[in-house]
Amino acid sequence: MLQRELEAIVGERNVLWRASELLVYENDALPGYRRRPRLAVFPGTRDEVIAVVAALWRAGMPFVPRGAGTGLSGGAVADDIVVLGLQRLKQVLALNAGARTATVEPGVVNATLTKAATPFGLHYAPDPSSQTACTIGGNVAENAGGPHCLKYGVTLNHVLAATVLLPNGEIIALEAPRADRAGYDLMGAFVGSEGCFGVALDVTVRLTPNPEQVVTLLSVFSSLDDAARAVSAVIAEGVLPSAFEMMDNPTIRAVEASIYAAGYPLDAAAVLLTELDGAAAGIAEDVQIVERLSRACGATDVRTATDAADRARLWQGRKKAFGALGRIAPDLVVQDAVVPRTRLAPILAKIAEIGQRLNVRLCNVFHAGDGNLHPCIPYDASDADESARVHAAMKEVMELCIAEGGSITGEHGVGSDKMAYMDRLFATESLDAMCRLRDAFDAERRANPGKVIPSRHCREWMSVRGVEA
Amino acid sequence: MTTTSITNVRDLADTVRAAFEDGTPLRITTCGTWPESLRSVRSGATTLDCSAITGIVEYIPGDLTLTARAGTTLAELEEATARHGQWCPLSPWGTDAGSFGATMATATRGPLTTALGAPRDLALGIECVDGTGAVIRGGGRVVKNVAGFDLTRLMVGSWGTLAILTEISVRLRARPAVDETWSVPLDGDGVTERLHVLRQGVYAPLACEMFHGAAARAVGLSADAALVRLGGNAGFVAAARSALRTASTNAAPHDPAVWTRAREVHAAPVLQTLAGAIDRPLDRRVKAQFDPRHILNPGLFAESA
Ligand SMILES: Cc1cc2nc3c(=O)[nH]c(=O)nc-3n(C[C@H](O)[C@H](O)[C@H](O)COP(=O)(O)OP(=O)(O)OC[C@H]3O[C@@H](n4cnc5c(N)ncnc54)[C@H](O)[C@@H]3O)c2cc1C
Repeated sequence: MLQRELEAIVGERNVLWRASELLVYENDALPGYRRRPRLAVFPGTRDEVIAVVAALWRAGMPFVPRGAGTGLSGGAVADDIVVLGLQRLKQVLALNAGARTATVEPGVVNATLTKAATPFGLHYAPDPSSQTACTIGGNVAENAGGPHCLKYGVTLNHVLAATVLLPNGEIIALEAPRADRAGYDLMGAFVGSEGCFGVALDVTVRLTPNPEQVVTLLSVFSSLDDAARAVSAVIAEGVLPSAFEMMDNPTIRAVEASIYAAGYPLDAAAVLLTELDGAAAGIAEDVQIVERLSRACGATDVRTATDAADRARLWQGRKKAFGALGRIAPDLVVQDAVVPRTRLAPILAKIAEIGQRLNVRLCNVFHAGDGNLHPCIPYDASDADESARVHAAMKEVMELCIAEGGSITGEHGVGSDKMAYMDRLFATESLDAMCRLRDAFDAERRANPGKVIPSRHCREWMSVRGVEA
Repeated sequence: MTTTSITNVRDLADTVRAAFEDGTPLRITTCGTWPESLRSVRSGATTLDCSAITGIVEYIPGDLTLTARAGTTLAELEEATARHGQWCPLSPWGTDAGSFGATMATATRGPLTTALGAPRDLALGIECVDGTGAVIRGGGRVVKNVAGFDLTRLMVGSWGTLAILTEISVRLRARPAVDETWSVPLDGDGVTERLHVLRQGVYAPLACEMFHGAAARAVGLSADAALVRLGGNAGFVAAARSALRTASTNAAPHDPAVWTRAREVHAAPVLQTLAGAIDRPLDRRVKAQFDPRHILNPGLFAESA
């Protein structure tokens, strides 16, 4: 029996099968996709992972790799199949300060890696707002972003190599292309594969030197439109802030009512949090440009964080904004669309119109510099009428962003949640090509089956036997 | 050997599908600036000339993004973006007579790569025709995108052995307000090490390339030297300049036109041998998914079928 076999590998304590114990593994951080796994298994070493995956392969049992479960796409949920929890693999295996690289196990928490690099004046640049909980394995699987990815790039741009275990037991060393090595960029293909290609056993990332100077600005606007125009103006000017975040009034009020109150003015229609960093020389010029353009677009106040504590407080409000919004209603939906930066103002106006017309509490807190929107709606899922309006509103928002030439997801992944939009973005031939890429890694579709690409688009789907649970 | 000229994606797809059906090997060329030694050698191949699939499809300066067809030359991109104070910082080893498509397909780097990103980092989305004649799109035109599995990274750098790129979207950069080139004599005395430290520091240059012996002479330098390019706003470059002078008191301003020659001279050594680059089982499975009959640039990687 599979359960006994897994227990023999990882110990009884590390295999969960009771409904009460599995409850927390029924969803990720996006409520609304609850699936009951058959079992959850938590290997403690690399060898145990390999043995567990081999046992699952022999048993013909599909599985879902899972890190911290902070995903926002219904990605790490398992419908009557096995959850492969990787959180116990949390060793920093190597940290080479001279070469500015670190090799970590997949369960290492994002912020823990930065903490390990801090004594060397280094940090791990991709900083999802969930960084104190999410794992590097989950970050690689989702190609996670974060506020500072505007300047420094997303996970893809920081992953140098990984050892990947395929569901059939094959272990492959993937490496980002280098000047002296040609070959297919399968490292790049693996990043963002949402647990559907295999399990990252270890990941080697680039570490980034801490900037010499950091300037954080809080700009206050009396209209959302002005704030959006300021973002477009700064980007078009060619200034590259390290982070450029926007919060609208409902978000500001939720943050200020929470324990994360950051001192954002309650009557502001929107605030922009802009950070510039790098070498000390030259920063002042960029700060002046941002300030001038913000005021020209109607900013009523632009202030600079006075010290590190003030900066941390301004950031805390932003990073905990989803948490704060989550407290004002029992449920929260979050989207992740990306739009051209020149189109921010008209698109935000249309989103506001959709919210008003359907009478939902649409809030915006997002990576404005990338055009990566996170429209979210706090609501009560037990109210059928409100739920229907919330989902109708989100659908309209997504259709709008697609029509504007955008994408349905910038960093959270497709998972279960956005599958329905995939064929609005891609023709069948392209979706089939994505299935073929997955097939090269996992032809039997044992890893996280049924996610990302709606199965009807896969050419060979009909001939693959009994893989989707 | 026959040559077929292609002007649009539909014709390309039809041609490849026909070749797929009867197993005709295809040699893909665009501007033809790559040396012959780097092309497939199998006899009986039809040459597919894709240089007429050209033109900028969309360029929105305010978004710093651009989409162009594969046959567009780098010189055309340079000209279009320069007008808006922007650039597509591919600047690969070789010349701007080459095509956008080939640069992305070969993922060719250049002197700006370390500072501004390799082709895989700049690519936002692609359209291509695979070895079965399927027209495939991956990614998109916006600067952040994780919708679906990453066909963009797969195709960039695959040397036309999985698919033929027809259109690519990339992120652009604003040109630095100040952009100046210096030459630094490599006259011993630890200067190489100090330049290395400079490259790792906060005043890292946009480019730093060393030229020795014949290469130095070919670039027009009187002795072994590094070419260093400093870029940024006025305040940054002023500080970077003094950091450079600290690294070498002999650093001297140099004509920026030197980079054109430097890129050509440097191209020869970076043409690595491709043999064996795709010979792992996973590589072969990828190949089998996208070019099952091995008709695209066969033999380029000296791969086993
Ligand atoms: C409050 C909040 C704020 C957030 N802010 C951001 C943000 O700013 N930017 C951002 O990008 N995301 C953000 N997220 C989303 C989420 O934190 C990220 O997607 C994160 O990368 C997920 O990591 P995880 O360890 O929790 O992964 P999980 O949720 O456990 O899993 C996510 C996916 O990764 C796969 N996976 C996990 N580990 C592995 C492995 N070792 N090998 C292969 N596949 C694996 C799973 O199968 C699943 O498909 C936020 C989430 C919350 C709750």
